[in-house]
Amino acid sequence: MFEFAVNKLRVQLVLAAMLFLPTAALARQNDESTPVDEAAGIAFFEAKIRPVLIRECYACHSVQTGESRGGLQLDTKSGLLVGGDSGPALVPGSIEDSPIWSAINHDDYEMPPGKQLSMSILEDIEQWISMGAPDPRTPETVAVTGTVSEDDIERGRKFWSFVVPVLSTVPVSDTSWSLNEIDQFVLEKLKQNDLKPASDAGPETILRRLCFDLVGLPPTEAQLKSFEKLWKADPDKAVATVVDKLLESPQFGERWGRHWLDVARFAESSGKEVNATFPQAWRYRDYVFDSFNDDKPYDQFIQEQIAGDLLPVEDDEQWARNIVATGFLAFGPKTLIEQNPRQFTADLIDEQIDATTRVVLGVSVACARCHDHKYDPIPQTDYYAMAGIFRSTRTFYGTLNTRQNRRPSQLIRLPIKDADPIGEPISSGELKKLSDQLADVEVQLQETAGRRREARNNPDGAQTLIREINSLQTQQASLQGLIDSYDEKGKPRSLCMGVQPVAQPVNAVFLARGEIDQPGEQIPRGFVQVLDENPPGIDSDSSGRLELAQWMTRPENPLTARVMVNRIWQHLIGQAIVTSTDNFGATGEPPSHAELLDWMSVTFMNDGWSVKQMIRRIATSRTYRMASTFDQSSFEQDPENRLVWRGNSNRLDAEALRDAMLAISGKLDVERPLGSEVAKAGETIARDGVLRSASTMLNLQMQAEKAGLGENLTADKIRNRLRRAARDRNGNAGEMMRQFAEQQPQADPNVAYRSVYLPVVRDSVPRSMEVFDFAEPSMIVGTRDVSNTPDQGLYFMNNPFVIDCSNNLAKRVAREASSLPAQIQMIFTVCYGRQATSQEFHAAQEFVTAFETETSSDAGTKLAALCQSVMASAEFRIVD
Amino acid sequence: MNEPRNVTNLFSRRQLLQTVSSGFGYLAFSGLAATASAAERRFEEKSTNPLASRKPHFEAKAKRVIFLCMRGGPSHVDTFDYKPQLAADNGKPGRRRGNLLGSPWTFEQHGKGGLWISELLPNIASMADEMCLLRGMQTDLPVHPRAMTALHTGNTQFVRPSLGAWTLYGLGTENESMPGFISLSPDAGTAQNYGSAFLPAVYGGTPVGRSGRGGGQFGGQFGGARNSGTVPDIKNPVLGSRSQRQQLDFIQQLNVEKLRRDESQPAVEGIIESYELAFRMQGVMPELMDLEKENEATKALYGIGDGQSDQFGRQCLLARRLVESGVRFVEVSNGNWDHHQNLQTQLANSCQQIDKPIAGLLQDLKQRGLLEDTLVIWSGEFGRTPDAQNGNGRDHNNKGFTSWMAGGGVKGGFSYGGTDEHGYEAVDGICHTHDWHATILHLLGLDHTQLTYRYAGRDFRLTDVHGNVLTDIVA
Repeated sequence: MFEFAVNKLRVQLVLAAMLFLPTAALARQNDESTPVDEAAGIAFFEAKIRPVLIRECYACHSVQTGESRGGLQLDTKSGLLVGGDSGPALVPGSIEDSPIWSAINHDDYEMPPGKQLSMSILEDIEQWISMGAPDPRTPETVAVTGTVSEDDIERGRKFWSFVVPVLSTVPVSDTSWSLNEIDQFVLEKLKQNDLKPASDAGPETILRRLCFDLVGLPPTEAQLKSFEKLWKADPDKAVATVVDKLLESPQFGERWGRHWLDVARFAESSGKEVNATFPQAWRYRDYVFDSFNDDKPYDQFIQEQIAGDLLPVEDDEQWARNIVATGFLAFGPKTLIEQNPRQFTADLIDEQIDATTRVVLGVSVACARCHDHKYDPIPQTDYYAMAGIFRSTRTFYGTLNTRQNRRPSQLIRLPIKDADPIGEPISSGELKKLSDQLADVEVQLQETAGRRREARNNPDGAQTLIREINSLQTQQASLQGLIDSYDEKGKPRSLCMGVQPVAQPVNAVFLARGEIDQPGEQIPRGFVQVLDENPPGIDSDSSGRLELAQWMTRPENPLTARVMVNRIWQHLIGQAIVTSTDNFGATGEPPSHAELLDWMSVTFMNDGWSVKQMIRRIATSRTYRMASTFDQSSFEQDPENRLVWRGNSNRLDAEALRDAMLAISGKLDVERPLGSEVAKAGETIARDGVLRSASTMLNLQMQAEKAGLGENLTADKIRNRLRRAARDRNGNAGEMMRQFAEQQPQADPNVAYRSVYLPVVRDSVPRSMEVFDFAEPSMIVGTRDVSNTPDQGLYFMNNPFVIDCSNNLAKRVAREASSLPAQIQMIFTVCYGRQATSQEFHAAQEFVTAFETETSSDAGTKLAALCQSVMASAEFRIVD
Repeated sequence: MNEPRNVTNLFSRRQLLQTVSSGFGYLAFSGLAATASAAERRFEEKSTNPLASRKPHFEAKAKRVIFLCMRGGPSHVDTFDYKPQLAADNGKPGRRRGNLLGSPWTFEQHGKGGLWISELLPNIASMADEMCLLRGMQTDLPVHPRAMTALHTGNTQFVRPSLGAWTLYGLGTENESMPGFISLSPDAGTAQNYGSAFLPAVYGGTPVGRSGRGGGQFGGQFGGARNSGTVPDIKNPVLGSRSQRQQLDFIQQLNVEKLRRDESQPAVEGIIESYELAFRMQGVMPELMDLEKENEATKALYGIGDGQSDQFGRQCLLARRLVESGVRFVEVSNGNWDHHQNLQTQLANSCQQIDKPIAGLLQDLKQRGLLEDTLVIWSGEFGRTPDAQNGNGRDHNNKGFTSWMAGGGVKGGFSYGGTDEHGYEAVDGICHTHDWHATILHLLGLDHTQLTYRYAGRDFRLTDVHGNVLTDIVA
């Protein structure tokens, strides 16, 4: 049915985060490949290299002599590649990246100490490294050991979650309460435990629940009116109608897509020490929202994220979407400061395995990196079988190449251009100017590096020069990155994060205890044994990633459907059936309703993996409709409501709270913004919540030049000079200051679009999100924390955003309702989705009459204070 | 701080309070109570205030706790567990894959008690006579998040109340304008480690500041507020304290009304309590957080102003200011001690970050007469292996590691328990997480078998069915 149109050559790779030394970068990517003429290489090593190593190096760096100064041993291949205290001594193919090269040239270290090797030896070594450092000194391999036997695995297959789910028989019992099969299962369980389901909640409560659960927004007054009318006629039909409407609304995908972003550990920066931005990550975010809105079958959704680059496609649009989907494997947190490329690759693969298995399968295979899984029958070899799949995959994540960032990568150029690109095109003159600036910086850099070499014996002077060099290198990287983000004509390029297969797939090597210096034998690429008795094979010319994606989403996979319906259930019912939502293994929690879970899993697959259909089934059940009423005897028997004898009251999450405040104050912008603040900033380093971008910097420099502040100033200098000018009331400096502030993209911007589009910079999550338990973007978060802190109190009492929303709501209410009683009713209706009770009404009336601030007692102030109070109250913050 | 409020409000609120008071262990309207009529206040405090200072089970040695939590698992064999045999066997095969790695640092004996402490921590070593080393520590799992949760809650499987929450539940607080349990700059996603779980929300820890690169940071992420030692949104830009109290009374009226309707709603209780606490915090926090109130000598004592130790020094000084003001339990954390490689530089860096601040804290507490009844505890979630990983790093080790305590009724200059000749496993004076918890509660005058909370029909305790008090270390 699809035209098979995969043509790897069409995916062009560009150096978006231009590497300081592009040749080094290419070599890095190739370090797994075998040199063409192996025999000649080894002959060269034996003739020219080994004698030198023995003569000059072994005395201080070898296993034989027992000396390993600086942790470095040079008499084994792995010793060379793994390196010592300061990382690997040698990177095959790249002299620039090989510390041994600078050491023997006496650039930093002096090796051998006090002696300069002859020019011909240096040339030999240069040639040897460039040809990929062929080295026949095979390391001792570690035997593969394990404690998990075939029997263990066979027994493991009987564990409840590893058994393929079957369509459970629907219990037949009193059907007057039940509306669908889900209710039958729930009711049966309650009966067995002598519990009774709570009665239905009122229509206002149900509508509020539905609106927040399905689209993350409060019901409007109009929705409330129409729902109440429908409800009177036929409650079942009323619910079904509203559910259908909400599922069709574009806000649905944003709400449910965000749940997915929680587990996908989505973020727009690398986090950790460097925290470089991912300006293309937003494409994946939008892809996820669109997928939920399109009700893309869940199996396809998973396949696209794991192997979208390998799936057959019909056209370039689909192809582009599929590549963007593989961003899932690319935006995990990264230790970009890592010196050792092998360690970095091992960690990258580990993160990909962890995300893939926990998000999709709900089992933690990454636990088996260092040893057999302690609880589940997952041997360490399973881990390395999967590692081979990801080792045969190249990951593209970009990132600005600064001195700290030792592991930048390229990005993928999309097959189609953005219809609406981020950023304006620039003229050829401007492009030329950027190139000139770059050339300028490069000249300066060379000069400074020369001076640095001369100043070798003057430590103080050298320090200043090193700082200068660092700053020049950062400028160079920013400029290069900026230039690369445009095509030859000055139009912004369309780039994305994601993965691509390598030309020649490889197996991973078993590493004892997961340590890169303890290699064992190769493990053939494969899948998790306990989940499949007869796993499909992987062809030698295939990485196995597509096979993995298909294997995970085959109907016989016992976990994938279960894990997803459990997540859906959790977001609607308020508590999951398996509460350890990312862990269905032996250390996870047993299901509260095993038969129901299986029935839903199989039904989900029978429905064509339709997420919307599963939501529809749950949302139209009687179970969903139960009131959250307290009942003493039921509570004593089942205090945590595991058996669902009543509805769960849940706190609104961070996004829903912020969106609701914006919505009721009439300010919410429901349009999807283009890209994100991080995309605007481009490739940069996130520091203290400021995303100082290269392009805004250059803009600013140009303005500063025009204003006569000086040439090529740094941001700090511009800010200081502007401050001074503003103080001296000099020209329009005040206005420029304001622009300066506005031009800096913020990790916590003051915007009115939906919260799901706020930037997600690791370690700088916007306050409105962070204070209400936003999912930590460096972790897979199936279930968010629920905390109750005075910080939340302070936020509602004092935060300028809350105060703004209160003022806007007050204005809206004053506009739309004329009398105070009508205004009070309107405030309660928009906030609570119901009319005020008489107590509430009188209390509000009393409050408004008596309230005055220290400086004002006008009606607007009073009304705003009332609005803020109702928004701050518990009922607004909780969905019953 | 609070102005008298109008009488009609009071009347209706008292009715509501009485309606909901049955069946709930809270009514934490200490802020309301503080301004209510004398008669009303007596009624509320006597019967219900859950944060009121309470008598311990027996005479306490310690009244408050500062928990110095070292995230990532510090190496014991390079800091507090002197292993000459490990040095002698350096390079020989270890029990696992790597070869034995003798500590690259030298150890010396310090103080009257002659405690062996590594040269990495010269300042802390100078306080040896205040310290009690527990060198036979053990925990169940060598996995970071779970071992960390065990260290805090005694349980890895379920969400359980944390040590600080149990302490607050047992003893109440001495300053009702401050949270009784504060966690300074906790890592994101670790709410469970300072949470109250099934204990009433009022006993949960309050996170102040957020963790980030290079140690903890205080405040929001805007315009430099991050390191300025302020709490975000601590002041209303428009309202004064009188009008804000008026507004808050109305908010609470709505909340109590909801609580009355719903009968049982822990989330609503939590919201009510958090507002009262937030309101009171506004009055006292800004000044308390302002380290500029301290003189230069004190700041220098904590290593503030030194690049390496500045960040943690600020946290330690803040911890002292907080306990001094009556906060019952303060947790300060430092990371990252997960030194899988480059031990030589990384561990030295980590030690530099904490050495002056902790020594300064102990000295400062001592000179203020606070050390005798303040229990300072230092621990990571586990220790590290005596054998090498990645050439010059160490792996996780849950079978044996060192923690220490100071002040608060422990023997100073004392070492308890020990590991085998290389430091793999605790062999005597074993102190499992449960024993550690039992001992800490004991020093606070609480019997860990008696400190229980009934939840879902069962009496729960911090130590579950385990825990032995290490009576040998009590002074």
